[in-house]
Formats: sequence, C-alpha cells, structure tokens
Amino acid sequence: MSEKIKEYPGHPLKAEDFKEGKVLTTKWRPNAKYAWSAGIAVSRFLKELKNGRIIARKCNKCGRIMVPPRMFCEWCFKPTDEWVYVKDTGRIITYSISYISAERGRLEKPMVVAVIEIDGASKNMGILHKVEGVDIEEAKDGKLFGMRVKAVWKPPEEREGAITDILYFKPLEEEG
Amino acid sequence: MSIEKIRDPRDIKHWFGNMEADYIYTLGVAGERFFREIKENAKIFGAKCKKCNIIYVPPRMYCERCFEELEEWIEVGSRGTVYTFTIAYVDENGNHLEKPEIWAFIKINGTEGGFIHKLGEVKAEDVYIGMEVEAVFKEKEQRTGSITDILYFKPIE
Repeated sequence: MSEKIKEYPGHPLKAEDFKEGKVLTTKWRPNAKYAWSAGIAVSRFLKELKNGRIIARKCNKCGRIMVPPRMFCEWCFKPTDEWVYVKDTGRIITYSISYISAERGRLEKPMVVAVIEIDGASKNMGILHKVEGVDIEEAKDGKLFGMRVKAVWKPPEEREGAITDILYFKPLEEEG
Repeated sequence: MSIEKIRDPRDIKHWFGNMEADYIYTLGVAGERFFREIKENAKIFGAKCKKCNIIYVPPRMYCERCFEELEEWIEVGSRGTVYTFTIAYVDENGNHLEKPEIWAFIKINGTEGGFIHKLGEVKAEDVYIGMEVEAVFKEKEQRTGSITDILYFKPIE
C-alpha cells in the first residue's frame, strides 16, 4: 500500500469461499508426464553406489578428477577421459543445519547437510549428503568445517543404485 | 573418445514422473454471474455497452472498444447461428471417437460473440454455416455452473 493506493482492486477470495462453494471453480490436473534420465556419467555413478563404491571421471588435460562424474569437462571443453574409483571418505567443505525434511515437513531434530570433498577427487569435488553423529551445538558454532568424515552404507542387499545407498556420513576416527 | 548418444531415456538410469501441477480456476466477477445464471435459471446473459451498442457474450466487465465499465446485463436467449464448424474424430486426449462429434462456434443472435460447443440431434452432413440452433440444457439438479451445463446446441425446426 502507498499514499495513492489505499486498497488493492479486485475481489479477494478466502479458502472458505472455495470450501463452501461460494464461487464456481474448475479444478484440473494437467497431464504433465515426464521421463528423466540420469545421463551416462551419473548412471554409472549410481550403479557403482550399489556396489559400495564411488566412481569419478578424469579429464587428462586439466587433470581434474570429478565427482559426481561428468562426461564433459567444462574447463577444457572436451570429453572426459577415464573412470577413476575414489574413496568413501572425505572432508566437509560446507554445511548447513536443516530444520525441514526433504518432504518439507518440520524436523523434530535438525539435521546437518554437507558437501563432502571426496578423498581421491580434486579440490572442491564432492557430493551433498547428510552428516550424522555430530553435535548440533558444535555445528551451530561452525566447528564442522574441514571435519573428516566417512560414508555409512546401506547393507548390500538393500542398495538400489541411488544416492541413498549411502545412508549418511559420520565423523572419521583417525588412525593412531 | 566420443560421447555416445542416448536416444531412449529408458536405456540408462531413469525415472518417470507426473507433475502435480493442480490448479483451481475461478471465473471472475462476470464469469461467476454468467455461469450462475446458467446453473440456476438455464439463461444465457450478455453484457451491454450502451455507448458502442454491443452485447458481449460471454459477458465482460469492460467494453473492449471504449473501456467503459459494463453494468447492463441482458438475457440474450438461447438461440444462435453456426458461424463455423468442424467434425472431430478424436477426443481431447487424442483417442479415437466411435461416433464423430460436431463442434461449432455458435454466435448468439443479436450479440457480439458466442461460444464453441457441440452440435446435437443433427447429422454432420446436414450442418451448414448460418444454421439456426438453440441450446439444450441439462436438468437443473445436474447443472454445476459450467459450460457443460449446456449439453449441446440443436437445430431449430
């Protein structure tokens, strides 16, 4: 609202007006079907997750090992060259505390979602996943940056070739 | 190495989905009143611009020519003229129709405008441009306030 406009034109409707049938309406669900495919690189990536392994793709020109893998190097403008297995450990490079679930419901207990730079891949190459077994108060204080983590996998018989074959990442107990 | 082309998304990891882009459409002030009259009274109304001497069907809130607000509502009867027509052999989903349907733009007599509707009680070969037709309404208890409250238009004997 402004000096000139005291009231918006039009006829506002309330939810009750619809419920009580005060206004005539037409309801419709468009027949908007789609097929989405993961592409060559990510299809292989997901297949390898089923085997409990993380696979990356290497560009021999810039030398980058990319995860998630891609078939084309956006730096060199050329197809990438080879498949490389990387580790299931890594380092948290950025994270956020979420109070909302993936289905946008309110979470009783907030969760930490992070981008994990995967060991064996190039700098800043990583995947977004959940992190469990960390203290939320420490997370709020920004203490998770740089933390070493390891993937916790689903049992092999339950894996289905999806990113959820990794349940979450947990803090890695360093040897020695 | 060249990248092989994938032509069928089902050849690789894929998902099928259906976007739930549901919506509820409201008719607006003029549309609401127009369809209420059809639902309650089986009457077709138009909106008249006194300045331009035009009756709009379906009714509008404003005259498209002079931008004057239209306040006069006039019952325009249920008779019209076939302005143009076509014969449909497929339904709105592209499925084959056993019995072809005749769809026409019907100009309501004495007005500017009209609507696209089905023709009934007539054979396709007997339809012609300029044919006089009238609306056949559903029974009152079956009417919902929609254009389908008119079953079809039939020729006037």
